[in-house]
Amino acid sequence: MFNSELMKKLSDCFSPSGREKKICEMIMDEIKDFADEITIDPLGNLIARKKGAGKKILFSAHMDQIGLIITHVDKKGFLRFANVGGLNAKELLGLRMVFLNGLEGVICQEELKDKETLLTSKLFLDVASTDEEFIRNNFHIGDMCVFKTEYYETEDCVICKAADDRIGCYILIEALKNHPKTDNDIYYVFSVQEEVGCRGAKTAGYTIEPDLAIAVDVTATGDTPDGIKMDVKLGGGAAIKLMDKSIITHTDVKELLTNTAEKNNIKYQYEILEFGGTDAGPIHTSREGVPSGVISIPTRNLHTSGEIFNKSDVEECIKLVIAVSK
Amino acid sequence: MLKEFLFDICSNHFVSGFEHINGDILKKYFKPYTDSFEMDRLGSYIFKRAGSNDTKIMLAAHIDEIGLMVTSILEGGFLSFSTVGGFNSSSLVAQDVTVYGKENIFGVIGIKPPHLTSEEERKKPLKIKELYIDTGYTKEELEKLVKIGDIATVNRKPLSLQGSIISAKAFDDRACIAVMLEAAKELKKISHKSNVYFTATAQEETGLRGAKTSSYKIAPDIGIVLDVGFGKTPDMPADSPQLGKGPIVAYGGRLNTKLTKKFVEICKKYNYPMQHEAVPARTGTDTDAVQVSRDGIPCILLSIPLRYMHTSVETIDINDLEIAGKALARFINELDNSDLEEILCF
Amino acid sequence: MFLNELTELSGVSGCEYEVRNYIKGKLSEMGCEFYVDKLGNIIAHNKGKKNKNIMLSAHMDEVGLIVSNIDSDGFIKFKAVGGIDQRVLNSKVVVIGENKIPGVIGSKAVHLMSEEERGSSLPIDKLYIDIGTSTKEETEKVVNIGDYAAFKSDYVEFGNNMIKAKALDNRAGCSIILELLSQNLDADFYGVFTVMEEVGLRGAETAAYQLEPDLGIVLEGTVCADMPEVDEHESSTFIGKGAVLSLMDNATIYDIETVRSAAKIAEDNNITYQYRRSTSGGNDAGVIHKTKRGAKVVAISVPCRYIHSSISVASKNDIDSALKLTKQVIIENQKGE
Repeated sequence: MFNSELMKKLSDCFSPSGREKKICEMIMDEIKDFADEITIDPLGNLIARKKGAGKKILFSAHMDQIGLIITHVDKKGFLRFANVGGLNAKELLGLRMVFLNGLEGVICQEELKDKETLLTSKLFLDVASTDEEFIRNNFHIGDMCVFKTEYYETEDCVICKAADDRIGCYILIEALKNHPKTDNDIYYVFSVQEEVGCRGAKTAGYTIEPDLAIAVDVTATGDTPDGIKMDVKLGGGAAIKLMDKSIITHTDVKELLTNTAEKNNIKYQYEILEFGGTDAGPIHTSREGVPSGVISIPTRNLHTSGEIFNKSDVEECIKLVIAVSK
Repeated sequence: MLKEFLFDICSNHFVSGFEHINGDILKKYFKPYTDSFEMDRLGSYIFKRAGSNDTKIMLAAHIDEIGLMVTSILEGGFLSFSTVGGFNSSSLVAQDVTVYGKENIFGVIGIKPPHLTSEEERKKPLKIKELYIDTGYTKEELEKLVKIGDIATVNRKPLSLQGSIISAKAFDDRACIAVMLEAAKELKKISHKSNVYFTATAQEETGLRGAKTSSYKIAPDIGIVLDVGFGKTPDMPADSPQLGKGPIVAYGGRLNTKLTKKFVEICKKYNYPMQHEAVPARTGTDTDAVQVSRDGIPCILLSIPLRYMHTSVETIDINDLEIAGKALARFINELDNSDLEEILCF
Repeated sequence: MFLNELTELSGVSGCEYEVRNYIKGKLSEMGCEFYVDKLGNIIAHNKGKKNKNIMLSAHMDEVGLIVSNIDSDGFIKFKAVGGIDQRVLNSKVVVIGENKIPGVIGSKAVHLMSEEERGSSLPIDKLYIDIGTSTKEETEKVVNIGDYAAFKSDYVEFGNNMIKAKALDNRAGCSIILELLSQNLDADFYGVFTVMEEVGLRGAETAAYQLEPDLGIVLEGTVCADMPEVDEHESSTFIGKGAVLSLMDNATIYDIETVRSAAKIAEDNNITYQYRRSTSGGNDAGVIHKTKRGAKVVAISVPCRYIHSSISVASKNDIDSALKLTKQVIIENQKGE
């Protein structure tokens, strides 16, 4: 059964890269009764362990989301900003944004000259106040804001913000709650700062030194009108990544994931992503190397305020994570 | 001998991430000259020649090559593909390929004939997305033989041109594996003191990944990185390094100045020809990863001049390999008799 | 099948001697009557029952390169002989001249190109052949201006009864005529192997002048672009769908009655055939039908993917269909009323 309440809570939680405190607390609260040991490392990664004497396996899903950072507050109360993670100007115009303190703003643009391209520097955030003091007191350089969107779901799919990678977090939480009987030493890592270069995973991989690492993250799909060419589709099951810009999946890991899926009747599809990377990138080149792979959740409309995924794919991913940890 | 090795190893594929498949060929050649063998966990091959002291010298050349990966199986027996590593897409047009599926499958990458294309169209370079592998099977037959994620390489039998010039795919960087082999042979003749690690690194083409993990594993005192550089062709400046004039010594921040100087001195002393290049920052070679491994590793970088990089007709002069191999053996021998600490201190 | 050997030979337009010598040798072995005309065409005669004068024609030449200059570092500049898309030349192996000196076609490494250079395909004058020499003098010992260079590409059978080779356009046609000449049919025809088709249908013109045919049958390897993302109406022909009958191209409007009767012959004999859906290109028929009093012409072709490159592809089944259809068309036309 899909736990809509948990997913909605995770999606709505304010936690852009570098500001993951809130979601870290939320997840910790969710899993504290299930883990043998919970630590938070110096960069802020939340690491939950289920102890065992066997193989050391690391699962990783990142807690952070893309957003904006305020770079300047002008006298009239307009806010200038830069992107945190992969966002570009033309996707931003007109969007509602929300801050940690719950205040909001909308993204507006300066008047463009002929054929001038829209740059982030031509955009500003209007926080809907003419009261200079109110603005001065409530908005500061360095504050971050994220998309403001309502969680919505149908019988089979979900639209929400930050599905990248709160679905991954959701999957790991569910997997931990249903942790199987095993000798393996399992680390569930909720990592920080993936969107700005997989920084949390790098240090977590080094510290834990696992024998096998599996990142759980979203991937793009090729099932939309005139979209990118890709064989992955919503409802096609868990996607087993074969390659992206950060990793070529270790042949043994590809086989492990494939065989595990087949043995347990888990619906899966192969994924080759021609752009982007995940936590598995820095983890697999950590120390003298870690055989690594990725279980991906097919997701449309990535890095926008309305990411769309299929609930049954998520169920398949949870099953696969649990089966692999055995 | 070097030519035989190169022709053999270049007739087999080592696509990034799939370096393990034909590993036995590599082992066969290095075994007679080395004492032990191990791998890092990304698939880099490490052949060790033991010495009598504690010094560890790492030689690194990458074994991997760029390749293609099947992304979907289409009607009419065509395959679309992505690249593993950076490909010059124009070098893929009108080539034979082998797809490594359930069995090895022959295919070609063709384009529409000029009869059906416009002048405009022919001026545009083709993108990888516009190219397909034609296997001559029906989709149904093909689905039994090939899966998404299977890899493919261009077919090219190594070729002898005039004199000592040879041409093949993947001389980037197998040429330097040959340099290591030559150095290993030379070192076997002398009783060197340092422990020498001949490392055939994995996944250089996709981001120096094997160099990172193998140098961490070895934790050497110094690193000698071997890669290919651009040999002069008509479209390059007149003073560019040329084929047949020896290896190219690199100078810049990623390289240890005193160590490089020592190498140059020794080449001069023993009359090994060499060429020179300035590399102010990023070298684009394994050096960039090795240098910052653990607490830092002083490196030198030697490049073998090569024409038509990242095509199926990479062209080199075999004499450059022999010179580089012999010079390196001499260099290692001389280091044994020098105060390494003295050289490496700032 | 002669195709394996035929496609391994060099025969760039104007330099067809290797192909000619091979075919002459085969004709002698068969005991077939033939002569070589002043331009270098081979004209062979199969004697038999005769109703009209039939000329079969296939060109021996192929597209390739000709050496135009040798630079001071020994690199060889070249020009295209025949229609070659500049994009198929990069990083191919070629053999140059009578001694078949191997060379590779090189260009600036993609790493060294500017953004602008990457945005357009490399024109032929930015490509060169590298034979592994380092001075002009060294190169001139083995290669001279005017030498022809042909693609080097092995004959390979693959997939579902498919063939990959260079110059299937038009060694496919040559092999079909050779095959027919070897069968000792009791039906009269001339088998002509022409020169210089790719540079303007030169050989066919003089051959037709000598033979004055009533019916010309041109055997060809023809354009086929049945690839992904090419619309059906733009693919011209389809591999595996049989012998190709032309209706019209840039050089000829084929005699419609002869074409339809050939189609009927195919149907009556269960030979798979298709029509060519493009009017681009041209072949020896263009001059044969206009020589002297004129002749009716029909073109029977083998669909070949990627022609005018080093790796053309054809189906053995289609070659077989073209062979059977040609044979039946000859027999039917020599039956007499």
